[in-house]
Amino acid sequence: MIPSTTRKDLMIVNMGPHHPSMHGVLRLIVTLDGEDVIDCEPILGYLHRGMEKIAENRTIIQYLPYVTRWDYLATMFTEAITVNGPEQLGNIQVPQRASYIRAIMLELSRIASHLLWLGPFMADIGAQTPFFYIFRERELIYDLFEAATGMRMMHNYFRIGGVAADLPHGWIDKCLDFCDYFLTGVAEYQKLITRNPIFLERVEGVGFIGAEEALNWGLSGPMLRASGIQWDLRKVDRYECYDEFDWEVQWQKEGDSLARYLVRISEMTESIKIIQQALEGIPGGPYENLEIRRFDRIKNPEWNDFQYRFISKKPSPTFELSKQELYVRVEAPKGELGIFMIGDQSVFPWRWKIRPPGFINLQILPQLVKRMKLADIMTILGSIDIIMGEVDR
Amino acid sequence: MDNQFIFKYSWEILPKRWVKKMERSEHGNRSDTNTDYPFQLLCFLKLHTYTRVQVSIDICGVDYPSRKRRFEVVYNLLSTRYNSRIRVQTSADEVTRISPVVSPFPSAGRWEREVWDMFGVSSINHPDLRRISTDYGFEGHPLRKDLPLSGYVEVRYDDPEKRVVSEPIEMTQEFRYFDFASPWEQRSDG
Repeated sequence: MIPSTTRKDLMIVNMGPHHPSMHGVLRLIVTLDGEDVIDCEPILGYLHRGMEKIAENRTIIQYLPYVTRWDYLATMFTEAITVNGPEQLGNIQVPQRASYIRAIMLELSRIASHLLWLGPFMADIGAQTPFFYIFRERELIYDLFEAATGMRMMHNYFRIGGVAADLPHGWIDKCLDFCDYFLTGVAEYQKLITRNPIFLERVEGVGFIGAEEALNWGLSGPMLRASGIQWDLRKVDRYECYDEFDWEVQWQKEGDSLARYLVRISEMTESIKIIQQALEGIPGGPYENLEIRRFDRIKNPEWNDFQYRFISKKPSPTFELSKQELYVRVEAPKGELGIFMIGDQSVFPWRWKIRPPGFINLQILPQLVKRMKLADIMTILGSIDIIMGEVDR
Repeated sequence: MDNQFIFKYSWEILPKRWVKKMERSEHGNRSDTNTDYPFQLLCFLKLHTYTRVQVSIDICGVDYPSRKRRFEVVYNLLSTRYNSRIRVQTSADEVTRISPVVSPFPSAGRWEREVWDMFGVSSINHPDLRRISTDYGFEGHPLRKDLPLSGYVEVRYDDPEKRVVSEPIEMTQEFRYFDFASPWEQRSDG
């Protein structure tokens, strides 16, 4: 806390847990000197649901519906990471087709998440129109998800060894149509926003983070790439089938909020490129590695016998985690989402630590808002792109 | 997928006092250290030219109630320059205090608060050690294995008092433990 030398009373304002921008329940205690911000303290924990403790009491397949509630805007990433962990622990191969379907779903989810970042960010700055426009495109993505997975948002789609069900007939054509339409949509956003002088006034030069500082604070995702460091886990780790596509890492050098905006917009276009390549190259074959489902602790239960064949259910895919530790990570739209899991020789994990990108990215907020005006807090908070579901877990 | 360079290098270079055991597996490399040394070890890893571990990805605690030093604090680290990850683990019991690593890694501030809040492992000279995820008047440390999943208190809004009150928990149904390999069996012994 840096006391001001000229004025004696500083005003402490509580931007309380309920506030109109859709970041969720975040409480900021801001110390103001007139219009300048002296200090800002975020208080978290309003959405803490004990996800990590619940994970210690659920099998992986039972836990999958919970994981979409961490980052409820980019739900496929949370599911992908939950199944990637056991797959790596058990060295389970994912069939090619499932890998392509996963990549398509992940990229669609990335676009959806960036869209729903863009809307509230512009609404915080003062532009109400993009907020409605993004929902147009997001509804189209929801329709695609509903056709493939059955649910608009909280799809329970990924399974250990693949995906739950194959894509319906005609989905690929619809998705290609969506890609063509979306490119015109992004062009519209560019025309409306990127060279708008009011927008540039609000955003350029605000919230500057240097490259060294970004690394020290552990930032990841678009925040790191906007500061000049080309670090993208899809290129570095080479997971799923991202190698087979031709795409570039989007990055900018300036490190201010405008750079973060530009990185996310260009990531959306890049995702469309990946989706188009994946849709054109998708192979046939199985969509799930069905060998895993035959895991049974009891070798031949009587319920699988011939006379029960019409009433027997498919065996529940319980997967036993071996006694190892693993840190698995994925490039979520907000940053590096990671799970540190420690298996016990049982169906429940011993420790399931979620490393949310929003939690880390939010730490730099008090640093950035010192010496800024009150109105800039919302710009910076918006450009960090947090979502409280994953920050609090 | 990530190279083993800094792991091999640090194994050769680090003084043996600092590192108790280094283990390497296909799922990530870990090194175990004593409670007195995580600060020095992490500073070394961060600043040394050939290990340049600048990013602290994660600090978490793990509870093994069967061990004497029941908690284990795990620091997950990443070096973007060498594309390598390394894990440093320390063990602690309920009263040991660990040195904070906030000065080399400013992002560790919140992680250590969370380890304190969830497990009760505190840090000496931490700039800001208070609860982060649990409720304002919460007692206990949730992620310890002895706290049950449902907790001990439940909250409700009390109309006569016009505020939220906490009361001891009342479960109308016994806690069901789902651990079955076959959908027909509730608890399997196989």
